[in-house]
Amino acid sequence: MMIFFLQLSVLFLMIIIFNSFITNIESDQGISLTPVLNGFASVDVQDQSGLISKYINPSVINVIPSNFSTSLNNIALGKTTGFLYVPGNAAEKIRTGQSIDMIVYLDSSDPKSSVVRDEVNSTAKVISQSYSNSLSASATPQNTTIPTINQVSTGEPLPLQIIKKVMLVILLFLPLLLFGNIIIDSVVGEKERKTAEILIAMPLSQAQIIIGKSMAVALTISLQVFMWLIILLIAGFNINNPLFVFIFIFLTSIPIIGITTVVAAYSKNYKEAGIGLSIVYIGIVGFLIVPVLFYISRKSFLSNISPMTIVMRLFSGESISLPDYALALICILVVSIISYWIAIKLFERDDIIFGPRPGILRLIFDLITFKKF
Amino acid sequence: MDSNEVMIKIESLTKSFGRIKALDNLNLEIKRGELLGIIGPNGAGKTTAIRMACCILKPDFGDIIINGYSIHYDPIKIKSMIGYLPEEPNLYERFKAKDLLKYFAELYGVPNKDIDGRIDELLELVGMTERRDDRINTFSKGLRQRISVARALIHDPDIIILDEPTMGLDPATANSIRTFIMKMKGKKTMILCTHYMEEADSLCDRVAILNKGRIIDVGTPRYLKSKIHGDVILKVKIQKSVDLVNFQKKIMQFSSVGAVDFVDGEFLISLKHRNEISDIVDLFNNEIISINTKEPTLEDVFINTVR
Repeated sequence: MMIFFLQLSVLFLMIIIFNSFITNIESDQGISLTPVLNGFASVDVQDQSGLISKYINPSVINVIPSNFSTSLNNIALGKTTGFLYVPGNAAEKIRTGQSIDMIVYLDSSDPKSSVVRDEVNSTAKVISQSYSNSLSASATPQNTTIPTINQVSTGEPLPLQIIKKVMLVILLFLPLLLFGNIIIDSVVGEKERKTAEILIAMPLSQAQIIIGKSMAVALTISLQVFMWLIILLIAGFNINNPLFVFIFIFLTSIPIIGITTVVAAYSKNYKEAGIGLSIVYIGIVGFLIVPVLFYISRKSFLSNISPMTIVMRLFSGESISLPDYALALICILVVSIISYWIAIKLFERDDIIFGPRPGILRLIFDLITFKKF
Repeated sequence: MDSNEVMIKIESLTKSFGRIKALDNLNLEIKRGELLGIIGPNGAGKTTAIRMACCILKPDFGDIIINGYSIHYDPIKIKSMIGYLPEEPNLYERFKAKDLLKYFAELYGVPNKDIDGRIDELLELVGMTERRDDRINTFSKGLRQRISVARALIHDPDIIILDEPTMGLDPATANSIRTFIMKMKGKKTMILCTHYMEEADSLCDRVAILNKGRIIDVGTPRYLKSKIHGDVILKVKIQKSVDLVNFQKKIMQFSSVGAVDFVDGEFLISLKHRNEISDIVDLFNNEIISINTKEPTLEDVFINTVR
């Protein structure tokens, strides 16, 4: 019970950290989210003067010459991130000290649009600085024109797209990764306390023992996720479909508990289980987060293999097709069946519980040859 | 209750741990209501055998049939019939005594209406009524063993299996456990693994001697003791200078002598009767340092058999 509330308070503290992070992002001194990746984002540009093509950083954004109607169509199809319109006489106007208006069209639902916006802003400043310097040098200080950019965009402020979609989904999944110690205690603890002997002597099968212990942890996780969601909603986070979000996070906890139980069933003691769990959780976190990032950049169907992607889309209010749901659910089901099967089979083995414990290679050999498995 | 009915039948039981053969073709039958003792040196396979009977371990080969059920096919039914007291009284430390018993009662499927009464009865039996609300982590080893006995009996099992129940306990607690075993004797089928020969001798209907995974001998304590060739053992401590082989030959010529051993400077002479004791003593003449007689014990049988 104490661990449960300690974990909840840790999660609660994270809201405060999270909020301060957002405040920083939104401030003028905000943290740049622009990744340095070739071809990460592209922007269609209508710029007869060649001003933007000359100054924009090609290592960040691909500049594609285009026109208004083609570009808007490309944005809708996801082929490009935005469209920048620069007046044809921009260079001439700047030279004569007049201001110019550039217009950038962005799809705010695409988180890469933040990169385009940052880069266009930055380019405008570079152009301004460059001309200011040249005019200062020619002793005509009245010509310190700064190009202004008008943004035409829809949706939420851009950096918050990434923060809300990625960081919030990570926050929502955190409780799942905080329960490893309880699973370890309930399985490895039986070995360390040497109570496994009387437990196995009960009129229960090893499968019932493993499933029973896992269910107890799953129910505790569900309670914590439920409370956590309530806290986030009270704290003002915009979470659409909270019930479905809760159900998906709970479903995701089942295979994670299964995998943790496999580690716990094989481990001799807490120390070994702790090391094993750290390694395994790196893989689990990677499996959950990488498809989310992939989805943000490519909107690929396969990204839905991670339940985290589905949860992110659910709380963002996106409409999700049946195949997308099915992919995530099949992944949960398959990983659950495999992990619980291995955990039960390990717990049924005398040598795993009472020793001498076989090596992993030996277990794999037994698995392949169906010996003792 | 038919006392001739076989309750537990162990058939060709074999088990290895890695390269170590813990049990090697073990065969044994235990009748309903019988108290069978299993004695043997450390590593003889006693605990392995009873763990298999409790379906905690699986044999590599062979079977145990308990009340008609096989450990391979009906482990759950077998487990529900057995009350098992392991060697170490390891329990869930944070439970209170009564809560621990309630927890196990529920796991064993004791009807809810019977649980409280059963807990009171067992706490009374093991003399722990006063400590019912105390946590396990406040108990001494003796108290833990007593609460473990209560735990093993919570579902009123037909079979009780006790692995070294008195090991490491003070004489008073050990005696209370033995008294409890005596109370249960005849009512339940029991297996008692022990290192204490007197315990096996005084409590058990039959004793099986196990060594290196095999049954060396099995029978009533009286039968086993009779196998060391006599009703009495004459112990004669002699000078080191005597001719041992010559003396041994001479002793064997007496009709009452069943066997002669020389251990730690002492002749151990098994006699069928006491009539010739004085003649044997005369044989040693002035070479005797000390002399005494004793009844053969299971320890003598054990040392004789396992040696």
